[in-house]
Amino acid sequence: MGQLHEKILIVEDDIQIRKFLSYILENESFEYKTASSGKEAMNSLISESIDMVILDLGLPDIDGLEIIKKVREWSEVPIIVVSARDQDQEKAQALDVGADDYLTKPFSATELLARIRVGFRHYYRMSSTKTQSEIEVGHLKINFDKRIVCLKEEPIHITPMEYNLLALFFKNIGKVLTTKFILKEIWGTAYGEDTQALRTMMAGLRRKIEANPAQPQYIITEIGVGYRMIEQ
Amino acid sequence: MIHILLMGCILGAASGIGNLFIELGFPETNVVIIYLLAVLLISRFTSGYVYGILASLIATILFNYLFTSPYYTLTVDNPSYLLTFIIMTTAAIITSTLTSRIQLNTLKAQEKENETKTLYNLTSRLTDTLEIKEVASIAIQSISQVLNTNVGCLYFNENGNPSDFFLQQKSPTQQTTEYITDENNIKEKVQGTRRGFYIDANYYYWIIYGQENVLGLIRISTEVAEQITDAQKRTLLSMIENTALAMDRIYLSKQRARSNEETTQERQKGDLLRGISHDLRTPLSGIIATAEMLLSMTDDKDVRYLMIKDIQEDTVWLHSLVENVLSLTRLQNGKLSLDKKSEALEEIIDESIRFVTKRFHGYTISVEMPQEMVLVPVDSKLILQVFINLLENAIKHSVKEREIRIIVEKDLKQNKIQVTIADKGEGIIEAELPNIFEPFYTSRAKHVDSKNRVGLGLTICETAILAHGGTITAQNRKDVSGAEFIFTLPLKG
Repeated sequence: MGQLHEKILIVEDDIQIRKFLSYILENESFEYKTASSGKEAMNSLISESIDMVILDLGLPDIDGLEIIKKVREWSEVPIIVVSARDQDQEKAQALDVGADDYLTKPFSATELLARIRVGFRHYYRMSSTKTQSEIEVGHLKINFDKRIVCLKEEPIHITPMEYNLLALFFKNIGKVLTTKFILKEIWGTAYGEDTQALRTMMAGLRRKIEANPAQPQYIITEIGVGYRMIEQ
Repeated sequence: MIHILLMGCILGAASGIGNLFIELGFPETNVVIIYLLAVLLISRFTSGYVYGILASLIATILFNYLFTSPYYTLTVDNPSYLLTFIIMTTAAIITSTLTSRIQLNTLKAQEKENETKTLYNLTSRLTDTLEIKEVASIAIQSISQVLNTNVGCLYFNENGNPSDFFLQQKSPTQQTTEYITDENNIKEKVQGTRRGFYIDANYYYWIIYGQENVLGLIRISTEVAEQITDAQKRTLLSMIENTALAMDRIYLSKQRARSNEETTQERQKGDLLRGISHDLRTPLSGIIATAEMLLSMTDDKDVRYLMIKDIQEDTVWLHSLVENVLSLTRLQNGKLSLDKKSEALEEIIDESIRFVTKRFHGYTISVEMPQEMVLVPVDSKLILQVFINLLENAIKHSVKEREIRIIVEKDLKQNKIQVTIADKGEGIIEAELPNIFEPFYTSRAKHVDSKNRVGLGLTICETAILAHGGTITAQNRKDVSGAEFIFTLPLKG
């Protein structure tokens, strides 16, 4: 699937992981560039045309969050952050300041490639002016014009709020959405961080679209971060 | 005897003075006053009520005999004297009893003062002691002084066992150590005692009771012990109590020092472990990544493929161990504040299944839970870890075709939820059940390889569940072969 003109910047201080990332990208015929520090990364980002950034949050010199904030001042380039397991807080923060996705160490090549794919697809979808009126994921289909959702071709009864929530997920398939982001999109800023309301609504929605709410097929939970609609 | 003599003298003197008054022509009322004074003096200088009352009666008789006509007889001409006698006797008795009582009180106060002084001395000397032996030494010295004898003391060590010797006072300035051979019987005797002391052929043994256990014995020779007055006994008991306080204090401070040291060591150990784990994590991720890279470059029929696969699996296991160590040190640090929030249990279960099946392919995990959403106040990260560890444990002891079940039940009566994770593996050996949650306890059922090492997984489960105020148990399934882990979590936190 590699498109030769796409250039990915790997920002990672650990040499082994950097080699691993480079190897995977090379195997998939991506063009790539590596940086072992935040400074190096910023230089590349400013001087070169970069199409995606894979950024380790634990860099020795600059805080990963700062890099994301700076980049977002001028660029919408997709950013995938890489972090350790106990860095949830930072993960969620990174997403909130503009990162597109995250990976938890240790991760496999398959996982990484899936994230890269989602990142690019989402990026291109957002930049294209054409909007789809209908999207299908598995047996679940949404029609934005008619504002209806069908499960196995049968329209299901959902509240307007639930529709908005589901529509938000359909527009961001494969991408993790933080609780904060969803709250802002659905309820507006006034609701602050009432995660309880969102959780209850998610539970209700899942009972309408999932066969088993504890093993969902469509929208999965990313504990401590948010939710993600899976690509089938 | 001396009191009777004193009484005689005073009454005689009073009679003499009375006689002098009559000869000087004073009315005999003055004589009555003189006698009253005499009774007062007698009460003052004798002890007890007896002499005062006796003196009152004698004084009246003397007055009648010597100073009322007909003189030198016990009869009277003027019946009005009878009234005088009655009043005189009554006045004398009241005066004498009052005086006696004051005196008795003074005596008691003096005793109290002595007791207080002795206790104060003892307490102040005991305050600065640092060793049990020092306390015993001071105690026997003081008690010996108070009882005017030589007492001995045997103390129990911190483990509650008696020492094999008595510290014995020999003279006011000398103490010796007397070894005994029956120290093993002492415990029994002490346990059988209800009165605070027991007796053998030579000694009374008073027991020094601490707040929680027996601290020692004070022995007093039988002859002395049997003659002890109530006041002395009171003092003795108070002194023993003070000794107990001092001994308790020393043991407590020693215990505190020790537990402080343990806490510090524990913390240092935790810090070290945490530091190492943190540093191990990055290179382990690197090795896992490199192994995966090598795998993709190697033909799966190549012998090296399996070797690399082993490296990868072991490293993945090591990595999860490191993560577990990090969670555990966080939990055991004591200062862990659970980040409790109301969480939907289904979301946690969902993530745990996805996490586990990512590493172990082809296993069937089914979930049965109440239709309505179950909200539990938990630290989601920790409970997620509990589910992951229990599922991994189930997978390690099971085979792919056999389903692993997660059952969630709401117990509204007891306001808790119960989660069962059941596998159809070989089950747990009964003898190992009690140890299964211990750190690094690994099943002996199979040879140890990367699949069967348990390490810290179950320990974390237990620690995390207990920290949430829940319970966790492991048992074998009754319906089919297999193990089940059952834990509960309170619904209101």
